[in-house]
Amino acid sequence: MTDTRDICTSPSTPRRRFLIGSALTGAAPLIARSEPVAAAEPADTSDLRKPTSVDIHVNGRPFHLELDTRLTLLDALREEIGLTGAKKGCDHGQCGACTVLIDGRRELSCLTLAVSAQGRDVVTIEGLDGGGGDLHPMKQAFIDHDAFQCGYCTPGQILSAVSCVREGHAGSPEEIREYMSGNICRCAAYPNIVAAISQASEQMGE
Amino acid sequence: MADTRFPQATGTMGQPYRRYEALEKVNGSATYASDVKLAKTAHAYLLTSRIGRGVIRSLDLVEARAIPGVIEILTHQTVGESIRQTQALYTGGYVADSVRPLGSAEIAYWGQPIAMVLAESYEIAREAARKIGVSYDVSEPASSFDSAGVDMTALEPMNLGVGDFKAAYANAAVKIDARYSTPVQHHNAMELFATQCVWDGNRLTVYEPGQYLNNIKYGLAEQLGIDPELIRVVNPYVGGAFGAKGFLTQRTALVAIAARRIGRPVKLVATREQGFFLSAYRAETRHHVQLAADSTGRLIASSHEGWEVTSRADVLALGGNAITLRLYGCPNIEGRVNVAKTDRSTPGFMRGPGEVPYAFAFECALDELAYALKMDPVELRRVNDTKVEPIAGLPYTSRSLMQCFDAAGAAFGWAGKTAAPGSMRDGDWLLGWGCAAAFYPTQAGNSAARVRLSSDGRVHVSSAGHELGQGMYTMMAQVASEQLGVPIEHVTVSLGDTDLPPTIVAGGSAGTASLAPAIMSACDAIRRRLQTGGSPAADVMTAMRASGLGNIEEFAETRAHGLPPESVQGMYRGRVAMSGGVHLPDRVQLAFGAQFVEVRIHARTRELRVSRAVGAFAAGRIINPRTAHGQLVGGMIWGISSALHEQTEIDERNASYINANLADYLLPVNADIADVQAIMVPEEDNLVNAAGVKGVGEVGTVGMAAAIANAVYHATGKRLRDLPLRIEHVLEEV
Repeated sequence: MTDTRDICTSPSTPRRRFLIGSALTGAAPLIARSEPVAAAEPADTSDLRKPTSVDIHVNGRPFHLELDTRLTLLDALREEIGLTGAKKGCDHGQCGACTVLIDGRRELSCLTLAVSAQGRDVVTIEGLDGGGGDLHPMKQAFIDHDAFQCGYCTPGQILSAVSCVREGHAGSPEEIREYMSGNICRCAAYPNIVAAISQASEQMGE
Repeated sequence: MADTRFPQATGTMGQPYRRYEALEKVNGSATYASDVKLAKTAHAYLLTSRIGRGVIRSLDLVEARAIPGVIEILTHQTVGESIRQTQALYTGGYVADSVRPLGSAEIAYWGQPIAMVLAESYEIAREAARKIGVSYDVSEPASSFDSAGVDMTALEPMNLGVGDFKAAYANAAVKIDARYSTPVQHHNAMELFATQCVWDGNRLTVYEPGQYLNNIKYGLAEQLGIDPELIRVVNPYVGGAFGAKGFLTQRTALVAIAARRIGRPVKLVATREQGFFLSAYRAETRHHVQLAADSTGRLIASSHEGWEVTSRADVLALGGNAITLRLYGCPNIEGRVNVAKTDRSTPGFMRGPGEVPYAFAFECALDELAYALKMDPVELRRVNDTKVEPIAGLPYTSRSLMQCFDAAGAAFGWAGKTAAPGSMRDGDWLLGWGCAAAFYPTQAGNSAARVRLSSDGRVHVSSAGHELGQGMYTMMAQVASEQLGVPIEHVTVSLGDTDLPPTIVAGGSAGTASLAPAIMSACDAIRRRLQTGGSPAADVMTAMRASGLGNIEEFAETRAHGLPPESVQGMYRGRVAMSGGVHLPDRVQLAFGAQFVEVRIHARTRELRVSRAVGAFAAGRIINPRTAHGQLVGGMIWGISSALHEQTEIDERNASYINANLADYLLPVNADIADVQAIMVPEEDNLVNAAGVKGVGEVGTVGMAAAIANAVYHATGKRLRDLPLRIEHVLEEV
């Protein structure tokens, strides 16, 4: 049995307009406290492709970047800045491998447009130690408890774990499990991750 | 609490050292394939088929090409014959499926690549891919077992048996006749399917995560029609694999051709959704198990027939009944395997490939038999324990099945079980206890390795082997350290580069069992050069200093038991030659284990949880109990996931997958996993290979789903025979 069907993958015009509207809504709070975002005016797609100036602090260093407005913070870190510790596991906010700290909070860098990080402080796994030469207690705890296997989710797990402790959600193994459930580990090192966070939680003194 | 996880060992091989690459992994500096930064990289985005079967009628590239920053678009019209036909890995070739990448307008399965856009950025490539207009002539695909047009074939060469099953079964007093099924599952390693290719003149370097880098090298050379020695594949770290990265997928040749055509490096990171179609998967299976026993529980007759799904292009059948039917003594046995050819991509190997689904069926049926006999399921297995496999009467090299049952049963507290279903309860929670056997064939392939000893006491080990998270760097450092008597801190290891000595695929739990003997052999050669003879390894450095030599470097290759001499050449062509398990003429090699679980089912909501799991495993020599423990616990959690979470849902209209993403494909998160214990039962087996290693990558997963289903029966009296087990299945008729 054979029939004929046309499938066109181009987005329709109304759909495109909706996407622009959503992007602006999302960017609104940032515009209020930082430099105006270049794509603020309704525009055709050629303007959306025009590079936009973004200033981001990453691991304490300022970066001035000219970026495609569609670029995620994850890809900006990896492709533009050259920090590849944050990993792409799904690009949809479903796995946690891209977790970074933004203004001290754990955030999914794949769901954060780079332009919306304008003026914000980003900490990646490469910047967690703080420059004193000592390994962060969470990193040491992950080594001590063998809290990883392939290592791909590990930077995201560690940053999420640091936040979990700072948020006050590392009070018990059950609480750690609950608050670490945004970070998937397919190797399933979960019991060791919980043990590592319990150890680091005491050492971090927060 | 005494740390029972780590068995005692005297030598370096056996100590729970921390991972060799631990610092790189916690610092985010371990370089995975997509982390490699190449100058002037062009970014690729795949467009994949949105039909399950048919022909591309037309491709409209005008709008896509008009986007600034688009460099090139590859389609079947521009690739066509330039990628040569190669055989699937299962039939002696290299590729995951034998459909040629962009080879023609024919669509064999949903998700098949139909175009690859190259652009200055990922965003532009993605936008352009979405602006390609595609029209198809669509045919109705056969999606699974029950589809119209499916081609079901009995694979008679896989028949096995002994005695007269039918007669024995007909006359038996106690019988079980049951059917089971397992769903489609996907590996979903955290790392996406990434590939980077860069040409330097006629030389190509490929950065791609792989369980078998030489498979990529030689397969790609065949596809491109070039000398394999012009190709180098580099990948020091794999971000999880589980079977999905053991062969060449459609993407690699496309990226290589693209990089050559545009004269720039090309980077492809396939999306998570594309990954569900790009590589292999665990196909759905069906089972019919018939068991008969006498009144003491001794098996009189056992039959296990399996049905598996494969693609139209390639026939893959895993036939796990070749092991389930050899687990226990039984005089009358029959086994058959059937495959259904569908319009899907070719399935493949996923952690415990044939063992996981076949063990689910067989170990559940055995539990059903125990209840029918009013016998404890552990005792049923003890009554049927055997020293020789039942079909050809071959000896096991070692068999610690009952030691595993006893160790895990004691740690679990199995003696406290009350047998009747529904008889154990904790407040609002119905408790269920269940157990099952675990097993996995001990296999190995040919391997080579190079070891260099320097006069300052430093040792360097090199191999094209693979670090998937199993701890290969650490274990290989331990092997060299013990064999040469140098401190482990003095050993460095290079892996993941086809310029290094070849080894076998890191799969089938055979990686360590294959590579460790080659390193031991190279260390032997160094000792022979130094004429230390049979003296202890500690004398090596004394002899080295006395020799006045700056360095000694030795290359060794080892051939696995059961492989012919000519198979060594295959190792230098990226072939998969592995022997062992139940396929040797003289003996049977299996690792064994026992899984015990407690499930809790809420009396009102029917929420279903695995609250405790204890596994005990005997797998020969454990080189690093720390990394082995991670493998075993991870494997057990995979088993929990397989029983309760994972199922790729098929859309029968177009043979696609509905839940091809990490939100809808259910994987356990930290909150899903409670108490999981893995015990390593000491076992010495000097026959399997020179290292005495059986491998632990897969045995931890096998049997877990059966133990859970058996526990659910104990909790509820309801026998669930189809995975995954979900709340709605427990809701009915409890």
